[in-house]
Amino acid sequence: MELDNKAKIIFQPSGRRGEVDRGETLIEASRQLGVDIEALCGENKVCGKCKVRIEEGFFEKFGIHSSKTNVSEWQEEEEKFINQTQREEGYRLGCCAKVLGDVLIFVPEESRAGKQVVSKAARDIHIDWNPAVKHYYVEVVEPTFEEPTADFERILEELNRQYGLTNLTVDYFALKTLPTRLRDSENKWKVTVSVWMDKEIVRFLPGKAEDYYGIAIDIGTTTVAAYFCNLHTMEVVETVSMMNPQCKYGEDVMSRITYHMMNPGGLERMSDDMIEGLNSLVVKACEATHPPKEKKKKKKGDGEAAEAVAAEPEETTGETTGETEMTEEDEVLILKAKEEKHYLRLDPNDVIDMTIVGNTAMHHIFLKLDPQFVGLAPFPPVVHKGLDIKARDIGIKICNSAYIHVLPNEAGFVGADNVGVLISEEPYKKDEVQLIIDIGTNGELVLGNKEKLISSSCATGPALEGAQIAFGMRAAPGAIERIKIDPETHEVDYKVIGRDAWKSFSKPEEMKTKGICGSGILDVLAELYTAGIVVKSGRFNKTQKSNRYRINSDNKQPEFVIAWKDESSIGKDIVIAQKDVRQIQLAKGALYCGCKLMMRRMGIAKVDKVKIAGAFGTHVDRQKALVMGLFPDCSLDMIESVGNAAGDGARAALLNREKRVEANWVSRNVEYIELTVEKDFQEHFMEAMQIPHMKDKFPHLEGVVPSEVLFQK
Amino acid sequence: MNNTRREDILKKLSDAVVEYDEDLAKEWAQIALDDGVDAFDAIMNGLAAGMEIVGDLYDKQEYFVPELLMCADALYAGMNILRPHIKKDSMHKKGQVVIGTVQGDVHDIGKNIIKLMFDVGGFTVHDLGRDVPLENFVEEQLRTDSEIVAMSAMMTTTMMGMKKVIEMIKAKNPNVAIMLGGAPVTKDVADLFGADGYAESAGNAVQEAIKMISRLREMHK
Repeated sequence: MELDNKAKIIFQPSGRRGEVDRGETLIEASRQLGVDIEALCGENKVCGKCKVRIEEGFFEKFGIHSSKTNVSEWQEEEEKFINQTQREEGYRLGCCAKVLGDVLIFVPEESRAGKQVVSKAARDIHIDWNPAVKHYYVEVVEPTFEEPTADFERILEELNRQYGLTNLTVDYFALKTLPTRLRDSENKWKVTVSVWMDKEIVRFLPGKAEDYYGIAIDIGTTTVAAYFCNLHTMEVVETVSMMNPQCKYGEDVMSRITYHMMNPGGLERMSDDMIEGLNSLVVKACEATHPPKEKKKKKKGDGEAAEAVAAEPEETTGETTGETEMTEEDEVLILKAKEEKHYLRLDPNDVIDMTIVGNTAMHHIFLKLDPQFVGLAPFPPVVHKGLDIKARDIGIKICNSAYIHVLPNEAGFVGADNVGVLISEEPYKKDEVQLIIDIGTNGELVLGNKEKLISSSCATGPALEGAQIAFGMRAAPGAIERIKIDPETHEVDYKVIGRDAWKSFSKPEEMKTKGICGSGILDVLAELYTAGIVVKSGRFNKTQKSNRYRINSDNKQPEFVIAWKDESSIGKDIVIAQKDVRQIQLAKGALYCGCKLMMRRMGIAKVDKVKIAGAFGTHVDRQKALVMGLFPDCSLDMIESVGNAAGDGARAALLNREKRVEANWVSRNVEYIELTVEKDFQEHFMEAMQIPHMKDKFPHLEGVVPSEVLFQK
Repeated sequence: MNNTRREDILKKLSDAVVEYDEDLAKEWAQIALDDGVDAFDAIMNGLAAGMEIVGDLYDKQEYFVPELLMCADALYAGMNILRPHIKKDSMHKKGQVVIGTVQGDVHDIGKNIIKLMFDVGGFTVHDLGRDVPLENFVEEQLRTDSEIVAMSAMMTTTMMGMKKVIEMIKAKNPNVAIMLGGAPVTKDVADLFGADGYAESAGNAVQEAIKMISRLREMHK
């Protein structure tokens, strides 16, 4: 008899189970069954983060016989991450092993993709009120036999008379709602008209509606943030975020472009995932404007919450994955919502405008524009100009007639996200020369003032976000986010996400440390250097003061223990290996070298202000950024963290249509420079890899870094 | 000249490379010539021997790309002085190599290091630079009749071009040895593309190339 081509799979400890096709990789199976396994490298068999264990034996509860032989053969690439003992225990890489028969798979804690903590909070920046969609309230005279003009023309006439609006068109779907909305029992003949760009009517609302809403979205390679704004008052109603659902196809822009090139239908799949993700993000933002849903197990009910239960019928949003559990983040939202007491009770139909920024590849993939040429020198994008697209045309579920506005791209590696940074920081309106560094998987740099502006990008790689670092992880609970090293004893103190107390104020078992995230990685190099644990070249010092320094017996590499086994929840010491230091050096070298070459191009020796933006822009310790040499020397008080400036730009474009015009202008008036083809790029890059730099002086670090360290040869 | 003196000079040349001291490399290259050390001997057993140590240090992560490049500079500094004095007969049948970074890719640090290794090994190197149109590899190979074509790509997107080059070259001349390198290139890819050689990483490539030099040095003993 032919074998059934499906196999039973059970994932532990989540207990998710189901049938998948034989021949699928374990990662693919995990995806289908809604289990999140880390796959930083995009299943390229190089990151080793997707380690899982195949259990051996008959599992009566599930009625399966699980065996190591029920997955495909061992592959050479796995050797790098799985030693002989582990191999015997049944460990495999999820991206290598394919399902051949029934298996029970254990996903160790370090392989579980944690829920990311995102700090893409909205900043207080000045924006003039001039949204693309405006509300006009009109009252019309009831039609009579003497004056039987149609509803629409009746309203047009009034809009012209009161507001001087002419040549208005109407979206067909909006028009369909007109007769009933105009005859709403409580607001007969009174209607609020939502007009897009003073050109097209996109909605009729019965009666007078002052407050109306839009969403500004920043699609980052790793994180997507959304700012739910009141377009009337300009306030940010909610900030919500999610992991970029495309992360499963690859951690960086290049691997996603490759995914598209290698897999028929890949672009559609990635785009659809993003659209689905954005839709659920909109739902999430709207849900936050409702009274909180109480959890099943009742807590002591204050009157408010009891009412909430009554008021809120079970929501069915058709969401499929990962939205079932209450997370800490949600609880915070609930607490916040409870304090406010006033619930807007909005739903996605209330969203009448949306702006989107993202790097060029994210922009293209979202819009299903072929991104492959963005990945090939000279990296031309498909389009520069900002785009207005009907949300419904690409499947974004907001008000049916609404538009979305996608901001323009500058170049292949400097996209709409950087335009967002520009229109929020407005360096082109200032006399002072600003250097804006947007740290992400791809670093984006802007330099200049109102006279001239240049931009460039540099391949910082995902190291600064935790990938390619042995114990690197996303900013999730258990991730080390701050590190201090005592220069005398080389003792380490650190703080993890999700716990306020530093290690020195905690018992080891309270730390539950899992790894190191981006901001911790930025800290670590500066601290290792300042304490003299690594020398200027990035090599571990030959003379070490503590037992934290050692040679790893498996790979013979030097390493430094940041957190001991008893402080970790993954059952092993968390270390920074020599190789990790090298990865950080490559990333920071790329940024420094980029800054320097741009300054040379502008013919300037110093800048007036350094602004650090990015997902963890607000997290960056300015002093440590300077110590590790992320950018050329400058006084500490000139360094400013500007947070998620790209998202702020999206918000500015949402609230002020002039910003869209400005965006188009600036995207074509910034001169993009490809740094890698500068003639002495190699030399500069090489010098910049040292800490803080091979040759450049850092007078502002005198007194900050011990002089024997700062002036070492 | 006695052998101790020769050994001493070779050691100094090697040290100059390991300690990336360009001035010292130049100084001792000149001394080697003045004292009658064979130029080829000085390159292979002095400078190149130093580079072997460098490769080792790189492998142990004690040296990193900056050090590697500085060592290369020192090596070139010495070699520029010594090379014009190499006797014709010690240069026989070393071979030619066409090298470049494939179209769409502008990253060439790795390629430059490999180029250096071929240089030191006495190969005639035809460097096409970076962002090289695919057909140029084929044309250059045919023009020079090189035995080796070495290609590098640092981006997954540009890696695909290598496959086309291999097909084009193999169609015209199946005996050409093709080496691939660069961050996204894996052994699978190299096999899939039909390459003859593959280097897992820059470090690995350096190791491979250094082994190649070591073998050359063996041959010359």
